[in-house]
Amino acid sequence: MNQQAPETLLEFADVTFRYPDGNIGLNGCSLRITRGSRNALIGANGAGKTTLFQHANGLLRPQGGTIRYAGQPIDYSRAGLRRLRGEVGLVFQNPDQQLFSASVREDVSFGPLNLGLDTDTVRQRVGAALRAVGMDKFADRPVHNLSFGQKKRVCIAGVLAMEPQLLVLDEPMAGLDYAMRQELLAVLDDLHARGITLLLATHDIDFAYRWTDRIHLIAAGACAASFATPDLPQHADALTAAGMPIPGIVELHRMLRQQEPAVIAADIPAPRSIGELITLLNQGKDS
Amino acid sequence: MLIEQCAYSNRWRAVSPAAKGLFALGGFVAAFVAGQPQAAMTAAGLVTLIAVTGAGVPLSRFTRIALPPLGFLLLGCLSLAFSLDWSAASQGHGQELAVRWLPDGWTPILTLGGRSIGALAALLFLAVTTPLIDLIALLRRLRLPEVLLELMVLCYRMLFVFSEAVRDTRTAQAARLGYAAPRFALRSLGSLAANLTVQIWQRAHALHVAAQSRNNDGPLRFLEPEYANAGRDLALAGTGAVVLIGIALVLS
Repeated sequence: MNQQAPETLLEFADVTFRYPDGNIGLNGCSLRITRGSRNALIGANGAGKTTLFQHANGLLRPQGGTIRYAGQPIDYSRAGLRRLRGEVGLVFQNPDQQLFSASVREDVSFGPLNLGLDTDTVRQRVGAALRAVGMDKFADRPVHNLSFGQKKRVCIAGVLAMEPQLLVLDEPMAGLDYAMRQELLAVLDDLHARGITLLLATHDIDFAYRWTDRIHLIAAGACAASFATPDLPQHADALTAAGMPIPGIVELHRMLRQQEPAVIAADIPAPRSIGELITLLNQGKDS
Repeated sequence: MLIEQCAYSNRWRAVSPAAKGLFALGGFVAAFVAGQPQAAMTAAGLVTLIAVTGAGVPLSRFTRIALPPLGFLLLGCLSLAFSLDWSAASQGHGQELAVRWLPDGWTPILTLGGRSIGALAALLFLAVTTPLIDLIALLRRLRLPEVLLELMVLCYRMLFVFSEAVRDTRTAQAARLGYAAPRFALRSLGSLAANLTVQIWQRAHALHVAAQSRNNDGPLRFLEPEYANAGRDLALAGTGAVVLIGIALVLS
């Protein structure tokens, strides 16, 4: 059967960027994000994750190479950037850097009003975005009375209200406790189910392995590897070279496969979570 | 923070800020037109009563909020009670300074004090029943220049961001004995100010980038809140304001 290749939404081709102080931001970085996928960008601090995100939103302009959105090179004219920023929403790591109105509703309305939408549409979008992140009850609260996790959700709502196709989140789980992470994860799952493409930076390799469809490794401003998440065990060397650990579940699976007598069949691919591993072990016991 | 708590927790939180502003304006005018101190004080008492019984602001909180400005007012009135007189002394042989007590009697002090208390009560009524974000929205409707509104929005938001930064930095300094002795405290305060200066610059840049990422190209635009029954509230507030002014005039 002739299967159609997934559509590329965002593509970086050999992109180079150097900051005015001489620091390298991106150094021949190439990667592809397909429409509707969940992507993790993994790399050490200073590897170039934030720089890449700011290129995706048109905040920075590459000094070399090309960035394409939906097959077209990014248009850096005022109108072109307006279109791009409506399509690619960027959520910053620190919510206090992004929220500058004291009112939740006002802040969420900021983006859609900048798109030139009429008040009724903006009001509708603000309500929908706040509902999507479970913050509609907090619409009239002042931002400074919210918890860190709630502020993060308001930041996401502020971008969602612009109805982007691609949502880029810079370390969304940083600073969140377990419960807040689970809440945020539920929000991201919901957004993915609606067809929004997700690209997020994270240091949590276990989470990236469990949740994403594709992992992109970035080191020293270059994309060191890009692979489908289930194939991660075959890219263990690339992970180590990028200074990242191997997911615990992959290590455990490898050890169990080497057990004598065999606990898990050698031809079964590595599970993505503890739950999947327990199921595998139970299946082994039953058979 | 007390004002913030009252503004967000009072019963009239959802009432149109225009209505509350109109009533507060009525209180101001009543204080201004009151010819007798007791008339101004009555207007002040009525406004306070409405804040406490109507909006449900606890009297103890209202009093605590009012105490600092009342202290300043007392100091101001005391300065009116004294007068320095050089002329009386110069008629004699030497240059002597005469201090006169109540040169014009109690009347100007009581009149000024009464009016100021009336105006203070009206202002506090607005402050404890209306969050600043609602007031800014009201000022936007009243066509205050955009640049002033943007400054207000950013200053109000940054007030909380920086108070958190100050608290964190001070705690970190105190944990390393930064305030163990006056000499250390002075140095710590200096480094705190220097650190905040850099933070302000970085924060301003970060906000600019964040605004750009959401398509901002100049003025900061926000959605204006909507209030149910705004017309009815405005009519009631207007009536209340007229009654207040009427009482102040009758008692004068």
